[in-house]
Amino acid sequence: MIPSDGATKLAKKWFKKEIPGELLVRFNPREIVHAHTYGGLSKFFKGLTEGVLYGTKCWDCGGPEGNIWLPPRVHCPDCWRKMTWMTVDPANAKIYSHSTTNLPGAGFKGTVPCPLISLEIPKVRTRFMSYLSKFAEDEPYIGMPVKPVFRKKISTYTILDVSWVPID
Amino acid sequence: MSGFSFFMVSASFGADFDSERKTRMLIFGKGNLRVPKLSRDVYIAAAGMTDFRKFYPEKQTVELCLEAIRMAVMDGLGMEPKKFREFVNFCVYSQFADHFGDQLLAASKVHDYIGFDPIGNIEIKTGGATGGSSVLAAIMSIASGFASCVPVIGWERMDEVDTRQGNAYIASAACKDFESELGWSYTTYYALMMRRYLHEYNPNRETLAKIAQKNHHYARFSPYSQLPGDYSLEEIMKAKVVSDPLTFPECCVMSTGAACLILADEETAFQLTDKPVKILGIGAGTHTLRTADRRDMPVLLLPNETLEMYKDRKNDWPGFTSFLAARFAARQAYHMAGIHNPIRELDLLETHDAFTVSDIQTYEDIGLRPYGRGAEFIESGEAYLESDLPPERKLPTNLSGGLLGSMHAVGATGIFQIAEIFWQIRNEWEKFHSDEKYWKKYGKTKPEDFKNLQVPNATRGMAISHAGTGSHVTAIIIHRGW
Repeated sequence: MIPSDGATKLAKKWFKKEIPGELLVRFNPREIVHAHTYGGLSKFFKGLTEGVLYGTKCWDCGGPEGNIWLPPRVHCPDCWRKMTWMTVDPANAKIYSHSTTNLPGAGFKGTVPCPLISLEIPKVRTRFMSYLSKFAEDEPYIGMPVKPVFRKKISTYTILDVSWVPID
Repeated sequence: MSGFSFFMVSASFGADFDSERKTRMLIFGKGNLRVPKLSRDVYIAAAGMTDFRKFYPEKQTVELCLEAIRMAVMDGLGMEPKKFREFVNFCVYSQFADHFGDQLLAASKVHDYIGFDPIGNIEIKTGGATGGSSVLAAIMSIASGFASCVPVIGWERMDEVDTRQGNAYIASAACKDFESELGWSYTTYYALMMRRYLHEYNPNRETLAKIAQKNHHYARFSPYSQLPGDYSLEEIMKAKVVSDPLTFPECCVMSTGAACLILADEETAFQLTDKPVKILGIGAGTHTLRTADRRDMPVLLLPNETLEMYKDRKNDWPGFTSFLAARFAARQAYHMAGIHNPIRELDLLETHDAFTVSDIQTYEDIGLRPYGRGAEFIESGEAYLESDLPPERKLPTNLSGGLLGSMHAVGATGIFQIAEIFWQIRNEWEKFHSDEKYWKKYGKTKPEDFKNLQVPNATRGMAISHAGTGSHVTAIIIHRGW
């Protein structure tokens, strides 16, 4: 005997359109949990909960100064050797570009409007993508100085555990 | 050609880059810049598609795919399916995301439904470029001698989930550790690029809106299109903002539908049709899934460019304003096809206009204008069929209506683009767009002011298929083959 899964799952309307009577359109609801590992990047995500921004650097390929990968990578894409963890100094970070999440996709944990930003950080070779958690009406703008804030309490253990706010 | 490649390698390490910047950039070896070549010629013999809709409950995916290949075989080749099936010895299937259709190994169902068992098949997945990559796979299978007749069928069933969930599925094709959680919306990632593009190059904002206006307009003359319409620039720029600065008419549609091409070797192609269209150039490029990770490097030059053009360039390249993958793919395809001036040597173009900004970026990546001057391609009238410019100065673009106006059933998109160019080259645009039977088939009324979008004497066209924020791009150039 197949147990009942509750009320009827037939859709009558979808995308604001009536479904013609001769067609059967069934809702297939589900809840799925993935156990996703951060593997060798776990240090980075732990770091966010401790208020530290970690990147990685290849001393063979990256030269003596700068060239930190943020997001970090465990291995150097050029020589495939393990890179060294570095603490990123966010002083003098500024906004490289920005947009706004107004209509997020399902699963978005933040509130809208949520400014998406990419950052120019001294000694970092990449343009780290993040979000602005505090902003005035005329913000953000390209070149705007920002500093990170960390979600040390009630951490999400996602990239949302770091956001940025205006320096002043 | 190897000498040329060596020049490119040398040129890439020009004196303009100081040693600190050299440590940051990608370095090409001679093999990386090899120009592709086919071991034997490959042709397209037929094309077909369904119409594209936001919601298509009347048909299952297998029905849509069968209708697309039936159109190619019966309307295109004028052949009975049983007869055609005797030619087929391999198949390529094209679907972006199993998530959407909620059916893994969907290709197996399609393959069985069309009656191709036990012939071998593969299913290709490269995000938004899945269609282009699938055609590339079919070309390789024939050029290698492995197969002689290969249908390529692409589809996407994007209507099982609401738009919000659909956006989340699409954004699952961003980096889920570092990007997806920041909005679950690709539009937001492209708006980030657009903001930077506007900052670096300061184009007229209206020029971007003109791209949307053009493509929605051309979609009016296609019985297959999902979102046709004539909009004023003001309507486009004042429409609801999806992600600032991109408005709704500047963002591609989310579609359900299917498209098909029949590829063959020379002998088979001429058995199937008198007018096969030849593959002249192909290229495939990639770049980091995360936009953030793109390393600064010297501009990789196309055949129509010189180092001198970029000697004073201060902005990062490719940065957020260009797609290395598109540049790399176009470079391969142009060299393979012997193209030195794309506007003069191509008759029409289909770009992956997922967003207005990505379209203008692509104009520059494929060398229609130098970097920073993509807006000129629109403002000059070159992108318009109706322009008064002489034919050699024009490159009508997205006469299909593109992704903004006609469709983006992702796995079908790259195939749809080539199908539209294929019909143009065979002088069959009217046959497959003007005939009332197609409008009636899809329950539509042909516009009273219907316009013939056949490019006079179209001989050669190019399609750009594009994924992510430029993670995969293919460039495929096809040419009259008879």
